[in-house]
Amino acid sequence: MEFIQKKTADHAIEYFLLKAAEEGISLVWDRFEGQLPECGFCETGLSCRDCLQGPCISHPFRDSNKLGVCGKDKDILASQTLLRLVIKGTVASLDQLSDFTKGVESNKIKLKNKGKTDQLLKESKNLFQNGGVAIKKEFAKSMVQRWEENGILPEGIARDIFKASQKLEGGIAGFEENLLWAFKVSILAGMAQKLQGSLKKSVFGNTSPTTMEVNLGILKKETPNLLLYGSLSPVLKQKIAEAAEKKKVNVAGVCTDPYLPPYHFSPVTNYVSQEIPLMTGAVDLIVAGDQFVNPSLSHLANHYETPIIPAGGLNGEKDLEKLAKEIVEQAKKSFDFRRKIPRDIPEVKESAVMAFSPEDLDLKKMTDGLNKGKIKGIAILSGSNNVKFTQDRELATIAQEFLKNDILCISEGEASISLAKYGFLNPSRNDIELGKGLSDLLRSLGKDLPSVLDLGSSKNGGITDFLLNLAKAGKKEPGNYPVLACFAEASRSTEVAEALWMVAMGIPTYFWPSLPVAGSAKTMEALSHLCQEKFGSKLHVLTDKKMEPRIKANLMIKDLTGERGPRLSGHPWK
Amino acid sequence: MKVLIVDKTKCTGCHQCELWCGTEISSVSKELARAINEEPQPVPRVYVEGKQFALQCRHCENAPCLEACPNGTMRRDPETGLVYVNEPTCIACWMCVMVCPFGIINPSATMKVAIKCDRCRNMGNPICAEVCPTQALRLEERKDYHKKAF
Repeated sequence: MEFIQKKTADHAIEYFLLKAAEEGISLVWDRFEGQLPECGFCETGLSCRDCLQGPCISHPFRDSNKLGVCGKDKDILASQTLLRLVIKGTVASLDQLSDFTKGVESNKIKLKNKGKTDQLLKESKNLFQNGGVAIKKEFAKSMVQRWEENGILPEGIARDIFKASQKLEGGIAGFEENLLWAFKVSILAGMAQKLQGSLKKSVFGNTSPTTMEVNLGILKKETPNLLLYGSLSPVLKQKIAEAAEKKKVNVAGVCTDPYLPPYHFSPVTNYVSQEIPLMTGAVDLIVAGDQFVNPSLSHLANHYETPIIPAGGLNGEKDLEKLAKEIVEQAKKSFDFRRKIPRDIPEVKESAVMAFSPEDLDLKKMTDGLNKGKIKGIAILSGSNNVKFTQDRELATIAQEFLKNDILCISEGEASISLAKYGFLNPSRNDIELGKGLSDLLRSLGKDLPSVLDLGSSKNGGITDFLLNLAKAGKKEPGNYPVLACFAEASRSTEVAEALWMVAMGIPTYFWPSLPVAGSAKTMEALSHLCQEKFGSKLHVLTDKKMEPRIKANLMIKDLTGERGPRLSGHPWK
Repeated sequence: MKVLIVDKTKCTGCHQCELWCGTEISSVSKELARAINEEPQPVPRVYVEGKQFALQCRHCENAPCLEACPNGTMRRDPETGLVYVNEPTCIACWMCVMVCPFGIINPSATMKVAIKCDRCRNMGNPICAEVCPTQALRLEERKDYHKKAF
């Protein structure tokens, strides 16, 4: 039972928590408390409901039901729980790619680079059929070879996903094999994200760092506000932005890729507080995708008379241009209807420079900095929010500690938005404490760089590109540098898939909260030792729920600097 | 006295009471993820076996285990009326195990003591009632309990 006293570190959100309590509105935090205590079997991965003879559990404290009806023991149950999550997360990335390619193929959009786009469309078909041809060449040879040796080099989306999902249906695969299947599937997710990133560049043109504003204050009082929630087809987003510009509608986003040249969709808030924008009363229309969108949105939207339009449905409009025009038109109408509803917009916003691409950064200087010991390492901050933590506190504290200790922070996706809210992405903020070596390096990299560098949405493979370019610049594999990835407040299955992808690339990864594998000591052990053996990096899953973010940061700093302190991962019971 | 009511229409047989009893009461680490791997295996004091019904010590008014215990290890707390095992003096004769009509006293082979629910007598509320997701287990004051028994 973990009860979180302080719900969020964001004052703007805190203001609305009081308001919600007064009005009797139930928010994500209330629902979480209603769920406590959460099922211990599911939390530790010791349950299964894959067939109708179940549901089964492996009871940790009783000998009579250690095995499921079909005979799955705790190791198989835990490893399959992870595999199930990874398949789900990977399919989310693949769905994104398929949405995008479909939009591009509809010929409704002007392509920046036709030749490259055609090539990438072909490659995404290749990825589907035979696991990609050109994309494999973009990874270091030794990396691909390692994957091949372990039998986890993708052989095609269809084949791999089908096969992996069948591991859940039966067979005698042990926990190690299940884990390797999970890694195989996660590699597909990584490749799909990389392809999507390249496709985005070839369709919309190269991204360059853009200044935008973050937090609830960006909602407008006198203009219709149209919010895009979750992952939507970039083509649809482009069309909506075009139409909205003509009709003077303010378009912003929540949990969506904030930058699509030449338009940007300023992030209003981040994952866990996604209901709060509605509470301002200033949201006139919501277009909702699937991933990262909580179904609770529709209840609250009803309360504030905000219409919600799903971005795609079974019989939805196929013509994206027409759909976009309808959406914007409806936003205007809804604004007129909703004039009687008071708009309570807090004046909280923070400027942020977002969407660097690895090409904008001088990676040679970074590797030199690493070699000369100017900076102690590079930390990749990733992952959205989780209601089990004080919102943003973990990420912000960890970033703060890293920056103080000369560790360069790279962030992506939702994590960037969390950090942006506290000024980590604002170059003009000088109250953020930086280590001497790090501030020298940042100054040498360019003028007006923020303290944390954002590499764009997690669905665009910015981090993958960054790591590959870093490897090229320093002529070493990324895993040979002091680099680590940290998911401080993760919650979605896409993040689990991404964490496995990082490990497969050789980047040690820390993941919070604990993954549902804690029920099996062998699986936990394999995530550190087996992964170390196969990929040269570990997936650190820590089960201690009360660990303070500062302690987490120190643990990671010790890992980067090579001081091996007492390690909890793999041996949570010791 | 207070009695622990088990509502069989609400029990879904989810084993959460067993899991939390095992973690909070009998494990050393008091943390699920660690308790799972403890040796010897923690022993929960509540049983969900066969039926959708959680069974723990009823703290009988006329408790056979109290009668059967040869050296006064099985005791009743005079204030609360709860029956408990004074573990240091248990000689592992298993008489209580044999006479319990509900079969809720567990002989612990590794620890050589009888293990039995004391309804968390040192805590405010029994952990099983606390965690029950459907509130099939709940603590209630029964004033007429004595009257009915006699």
